[in-house]
Amino acid sequence: MVRRSAIVALGLLLALMMSGCWSSKEIEDLALYTGLALDVGEPAPVEKEFEEKGGTYSKQNKVVATVQVVPIKSASGSMGQKGGGGGQQKPFSNVSGAGDSILEIFRQFSIRRDRPIIGHHLKVIIISAELLKRQTISQLMDFVMRDNDIRPSTMVYISRGTARDTLTSNQPNEIPSFHIMGMIRNQSRTSKVLSPVSLSKLDALTYSKRSFVLQNLIKGDGEIEFSGAGIVKGDTGHWIGFLNQEDTECLAWLNNQGKAGAIKAYDSSGEPMTYEIKAMESKIKAKADGDNITFSVKLSTEGRFIETWNDGDNSTSEEFAEKAGQIFKAKLANMMQALIDKLQTEYQCDAAGFGEKLAIQQPAVWKKVKDHWDETFSKAKIEITYDLKITDFGSITE
Amino acid sequence: MFTRTDDKITASQAAVFLNNSVLGAGILTLPRGVSEAVKTPDSWISILLSGVIVMLVILLMVKLSQQFPGETVFQYAGRISGKFIGGLLCLLLAIYFVVLAGFEIRSLAEVTLFFLLEGTPIWAVIVPFIWAGTYLVCGGINSIARVFQIILPISIVVLLISYGVSLRLFNIDNLRPVLSEGIVPVLRGLKPTVLVYTGCEVTMTLVAFMQHPRQAAKAMLAGIGLPLCLYLLTVVVVIGGLSINSAITSTWPTIDLIRSFEITGFFVERLEFPLMVIWLMQMFCNFCSFFFQASLGFSQILHLKLKPVIFVLVPLIFIASMVPKSVGDVFALGDAIGNMGIALFILIPLLHSGIWLLRKKGVKPSG
Repeated sequence: MVRRSAIVALGLLLALMMSGCWSSKEIEDLALYTGLALDVGEPAPVEKEFEEKGGTYSKQNKVVATVQVVPIKSASGSMGQKGGGGGQQKPFSNVSGAGDSILEIFRQFSIRRDRPIIGHHLKVIIISAELLKRQTISQLMDFVMRDNDIRPSTMVYISRGTARDTLTSNQPNEIPSFHIMGMIRNQSRTSKVLSPVSLSKLDALTYSKRSFVLQNLIKGDGEIEFSGAGIVKGDTGHWIGFLNQEDTECLAWLNNQGKAGAIKAYDSSGEPMTYEIKAMESKIKAKADGDNITFSVKLSTEGRFIETWNDGDNSTSEEFAEKAGQIFKAKLANMMQALIDKLQTEYQCDAAGFGEKLAIQQPAVWKKVKDHWDETFSKAKIEITYDLKITDFGSITE
Repeated sequence: MFTRTDDKITASQAAVFLNNSVLGAGILTLPRGVSEAVKTPDSWISILLSGVIVMLVILLMVKLSQQFPGETVFQYAGRISGKFIGGLLCLLLAIYFVVLAGFEIRSLAEVTLFFLLEGTPIWAVIVPFIWAGTYLVCGGINSIARVFQIILPISIVVLLISYGVSLRLFNIDNLRPVLSEGIVPVLRGLKPTVLVYTGCEVTMTLVAFMQHPRQAAKAMLAGIGLPLCLYLLTVVVVIGGLSINSAITSTWPTIDLIRSFEITGFFVERLEFPLMVIWLMQMFCNFCSFFFQASLGFSQILHLKLKPVIFVLVPLIFIASMVPKSVGDVFALGDAIGNMGIALFILIPLLHSGIWLLRKKGVKPSG
């Protein structure tokens, strides 16, 4: 009898467990945000209206945070609508708020929206360069690095224009933050697409106070473009300038991040011809002689002569390959030199990872110069040698 | 229903037992602790060195235990250094195991609450685990060893898969330069790395349970060898993937490594969840091992029956696990446990081997 009642009691206890998970949240009741854009503070129009009606709290408008919410329910709803040929509803909605604490702004969204926002699926963060000029990168990223919902795999970008504009799209059924994330797939086509800087990488970069680059996103007529990169100076944490697309290509090459790309040059008659990079590699050797630091960079590439507009140039001879190779090499040298000049003279900061090479190859020297590395770098000597080889001419023979 | 406590385990079971007593929450925080101390990417050398040290310690424990076949440290310590001192030291060791059990279960709860079950009260995570552990520990060493044997391969496979796919972030430059500042940083890293081997004290009781105590040295070295390899792998993969700068600033660097990438198209996009769920089992094993050791200790020192002791320990372990107020306290407790472990090592195996050797020598006629 005792045994039976014990079993019954146990069964009843088990029933308590049947109610499901303790702290479960239904995904339908949450608003997942997939993108976050940070801009210079200025209340969004909707907030201005709120403020006119007294809807405000104590804050300084230092930053505008925009989250891209992907509503699960209306995503399927808009599909149906489209089938009916009705008005197009976008599969995302952007919400902006101004303030001086990102979490506080997020909590402000909670008094405007019907579902709590949740950061588990945040994919991209875009910071406007203007904001990064006023605030440091570690100030802005502090919250997202601490938060336990946001994954360290989130990618960080910079935008020359308004960051929140990059989270809009005129393509129907396209979610801009996913679009941006997907764009890195093109790394196999051009080294203008840099390896993304994830939050965990950013964490290491800001902690070590190294200068680095973030891919620049710009917006034009509803389309987004990866256009070069923005430099963040290590010791201040502020944005200091941009690298153009060609600089970025060279930077990726120096860092050994590049996989592919094209070099276009003009031949002696002024017609364009193009070299398709099949393999690219850089070897950097750091040498120190007293206070003089020299980097000898060896860039080597193999590729294909892929396009020429000069109708006469159908030659596939060694001699022609040599001649064309020289022209491409000169063009490459020009591009590289432009980047090095920019880094050393214009911005005076090492965003290309030369310091790391020095730290690995000459740890004793590095220890001496690491506290003022950016200044030392701008005086360092950088010698570049190029090795470019045209291996074939595509499916054309003489 | 209640199996006797003097049931025996095989050599491989003993090895797994030791392995599951050592391999626990430490793996999740190790890269941070060691990087903080070393400050250069040389932490993997520290791991190797401390592994060798711990192996020597374990050999000493085995040799000492082999002198008293069939007896645990709680029984033979009294015979070496006298009832009072030996008893006192063993009591300390048993208390140490209680604290350790509480610490393991608390780390388990902290990880669960931070990443998996935000909002669940902490006791709701801790209590079921303690009860499940009680049930297991009541089954005696044989049942515990069998559970360990089932769990270990699963957790290792999941860990290795997670590390394997994390290699996409691996950059050898993060581990270079080697020994840039000489050997001093490596030595600084010894202490935090010795700490992750806490739990190896179970050797002193395990040998008594072995069917063939002569295989003890081999079994115990194998049992510590696996955690050593996994720790080495962890540090290499995490530092190589995240760099020391990121590992230092992260509370749970190993989990952060797995969280630093998404594998779209894989059957799980985010590997941290399988890893954490599986690793919870590993931490549970850790907890059960210490729970068992503690109850064994108290029952043998105070000459009590094992089962009542187990039940008396349940609330004590719960209290021990709830004492730290914050995660910071938990980590501080972890450090304190490590220091305690070192002190106990000096007090028990080292001191006792010394005394025992002196006594043995003393038998010989002195000139």
